[in-house]
Amino acid sequence: MNIRKAVALASVMGFAMTLTACAADSQSGSQSEDGPITIACGAMEDWCQKMTEEFTKTSGIEANFVRLSSGETVARLEASKDSPEFDVWHGGPVDGFGAAKNADLIEAYKSPNAEAIPAEYRDPDGYWTGVYVGVLGFCSNQSSLDKLGVDVPSSWDDLLAPELKKQVSSAHPSTSGTAFTTLWTQVERLGGEEEAFGYMSQLHNSILQYSKSGTAPGQIAGRGEVAVGLVFSHDCVKYQEEGMTDLVVSFPEEGTGYEIGGVALIKGSKHQAAAQKYIDWTLTAEAQSFGPTVGSYQVLTNPDATSDDRMVKLDDVNLVDYDFVEAAAAKKGMTTRFDEEIASAPKE
Amino acid sequence: MTATLTPATVPAAAPAAPTTRTKTKRDIPTVVVIVLVSVALLLLIGLPLGKILVTAVSAEGLEVAQAMFTSPVNRKIVVNTVILGTLVGAIGTAIGFAMAYAQARMKFRGKKLLHLIALLPIVSPPFAVATAVITLFGRSGLITNKVFGLETNIYGLTGLTIVLALSFFPVAYMNLLGMLRSLDPALDEAASGMGANKWQIFRTVTLPMLVPGFGGAFLLLFVEAIADLANPLVIGGDFTVLSSRAYIAITGEYDVASGSAYSVFLLVPALLVFLVQRYWSSRRSIVSVTGKPSGRVREIEGWARVPLMVVVFGIAALIVTIYATVIIGGFVQILGVNNTFTLDNYRYVVQGIGSDAMIDTTVLALLATPIAAILGMLVAWLVVRKLKRGRGLMDFAGMLGLAVPGTVVGIGYALAFNRPLVVGNVQLLPAFAGGAAVFGGAVAIVMVYVIRSMPSAQRSGVAALQQIDPAIDEASASLGATGVTTFRRVTLPLIRPALLSGLTYAFARSMTTLSPIIFITTPQTKIMTSQILSEVDSGRFGNAFAYCTILIVIVMTVIGLLNLAARGRTPVPVAASGA
Repeated sequence: MNIRKAVALASVMGFAMTLTACAADSQSGSQSEDGPITIACGAMEDWCQKMTEEFTKTSGIEANFVRLSSGETVARLEASKDSPEFDVWHGGPVDGFGAAKNADLIEAYKSPNAEAIPAEYRDPDGYWTGVYVGVLGFCSNQSSLDKLGVDVPSSWDDLLAPELKKQVSSAHPSTSGTAFTTLWTQVERLGGEEEAFGYMSQLHNSILQYSKSGTAPGQIAGRGEVAVGLVFSHDCVKYQEEGMTDLVVSFPEEGTGYEIGGVALIKGSKHQAAAQKYIDWTLTAEAQSFGPTVGSYQVLTNPDATSDDRMVKLDDVNLVDYDFVEAAAAKKGMTTRFDEEIASAPKE
Repeated sequence: MTATLTPATVPAAAPAAPTTRTKTKRDIPTVVVIVLVSVALLLLIGLPLGKILVTAVSAEGLEVAQAMFTSPVNRKIVVNTVILGTLVGAIGTAIGFAMAYAQARMKFRGKKLLHLIALLPIVSPPFAVATAVITLFGRSGLITNKVFGLETNIYGLTGLTIVLALSFFPVAYMNLLGMLRSLDPALDEAASGMGANKWQIFRTVTLPMLVPGFGGAFLLLFVEAIADLANPLVIGGDFTVLSSRAYIAITGEYDVASGSAYSVFLLVPALLVFLVQRYWSSRRSIVSVTGKPSGRVREIEGWARVPLMVVVFGIAALIVTIYATVIIGGFVQILGVNNTFTLDNYRYVVQGIGSDAMIDTTVLALLATPIAAILGMLVAWLVVRKLKRGRGLMDFAGMLGLAVPGTVVGIGYALAFNRPLVVGNVQLLPAFAGGAAVFGGAVAIVMVYVIRSMPSAQRSGVAALQQIDPAIDEASASLGATGVTTFRRVTLPLIRPALLSGLTYAFARSMTTLSPIIFITTPQTKIMTSQILSEVDSGRFGNAFAYCTILIVIVMTVIGLLNLAARGRTPVPVAASGA
């Protein structure tokens, strides 16, 4: 009986102590001007980790990250806008940043370092700045394609081949910025939203399942679960390097979309000074050059940053004329429509 | 000795209850317990559910709800959800019963091992199974493709059913095993004395006694299956269910109204099954622990064992293969593609944000476990022994944490606790959930752990108490003990095995739960299961496997310690048939 009492008491005390410990933690955090800052990170997890680590090393400011897909980030910012849980949003297509700007979730910040970045990679109002550029491509598994007797796809229409039924993987545009880039690319390529949805509902028959995260389709193709994954080509290159040697990258000849990966200050950040320091740092050549060291071969926006043969040559690929402002404005309506009309529709 | 009365069983409340020696049923300590339990339940489940209902009947929510009936796509999702729940409920209960019956009534070597294998899925996050199943049986699966050269499609209903049944059957197994063990063998002896053969005994004595168990197991599995959202995301293919749809609506669009509306549709079948099961099992009395001596179980031997043994060992082999895949998968580059040995996955997990997640998750689960077990036992005791009016309501409220799908609980918590609770001008509670919450949102996570694992403690408590003759309580009361004293000195020792299994299960469950947690994780409080989901979803199976292995090791260690501690404190087995 006594032992039982002691255990009960101990558990109560344990509870109380842990709570006090946590309380102490969160207090010292929220009152400091220099962080720790929390970053909503939209790129590859190891990229996020490298960036925060190196930033802490150079600045002494503690930085944490949560890896979130672009749609998720906007949802989370919306949910906590009265008292934001993040300070900076780093990485992921700027279509999402534009949506956040329209929803008043991010704040304009013109970093002194932004001057170095070409104007086409910056928001004219200074809400976001581009840190990298990625091109949407087909990430195919050569041996799966061979088994199916299909050539490496070189056109959007190739994906509609009956042999590729349930052999293509794409992310869900509601959560993934990559998948929204795919969706908006169809709008630019075919000339309108109706046409884009027409294509996507045809493509739906080829899709195995819609993943949450935009980088997943490359992995799924790499393991041979599907023949083709729709991802940014740099993600495909990363997986090749990590041992998925069957993967090949190709681009649709009628034109493909691209992303500008952005960085932005969250509105109402509690550590604004530190957050701005972080943004300044991400625009330097030095910071951007850490990308390739962890296998992320996006084209970097700072002209002085490292260049690598494994990065895509923007001049060699036929790019659609991607209107980021229009895309951002249309994002919410289109993803909802996609979710309702396409994602859960039965397949023929 | 009996004069000092400290309700050691209510550590969270622990006000010095006055010592009374009334002989009425409703003595003061009991009333205090009733009030405290009611307040706890109201806060833990009443408030979040209320918020969801309010949001769902908002204008936007009603629009979505209406579309449920008008749009064929939505109707299909509802039908899919019910089909999945029914299949998993039936198959999982069957597997659980096969394993439990073999364990309790058959003679063979390797029983202990089989028991451990059957419990393995409990101590692991459900998508460990999904991920391994894809690796083993997917399009380029190690077994289907590399061994048999097949091109199977595991994505969709088939894969989901297999994965969910394998993940959740241990619940059925534990419940049914407990019931089988506590059945009085004297009944079998009586039947056989009257000339019944083994099959007749099984059909007319054993099975009817287990009906409440089957009903309970089916209920649990049905609800687990329709509430699960990780597996539909990973292996669902084009088989869309309500939970994954609600998840996309909320995480992708922050469309709380549709999310709530979908949740309510998830809630309806769950509650229906729950009510049906309750009505059905309440019609039979299953008192079998009477405090009277009983005989010993005669285990089945010889050829009669063969069919069941084949099934049981087949399933065990499948489980072992799956977990071997998880463990091996953590140590190679990309299992099935590049099988070179590496420690990179572990390095990534341990050096990255994984270590924070491990500590946070373990600490929070450890906090929640005793609270859940004690609350569950108290509710069980009140329901079976103390309450006359309102017992149904109390039992129902207690079970809601489980009957309500995890997705719904999660959304409800996000709605209810993201902002401080203000009534009038008084702030009753600070914000518990979300990034700006006190303690980095940890309180809400502990609360979710408690409400989700409490019902299993309550269920095992109710089942155990129903089998104990009330005469034992009455004897204690007639000797002058209060309700609480009787609970502590008489009832608790009798239901200790059930309490221990409740505790064990509560901890494992907290560590491996995802659906409700994913809506309330914050940057400050990292939870392993949600980290694993993000690894699986991004396709980094190696990291996910490493995470899962670490999670399994943590759960096993804590359960081992718990069992050791319990053994140390129980020198004398309490019930001859129970221990």
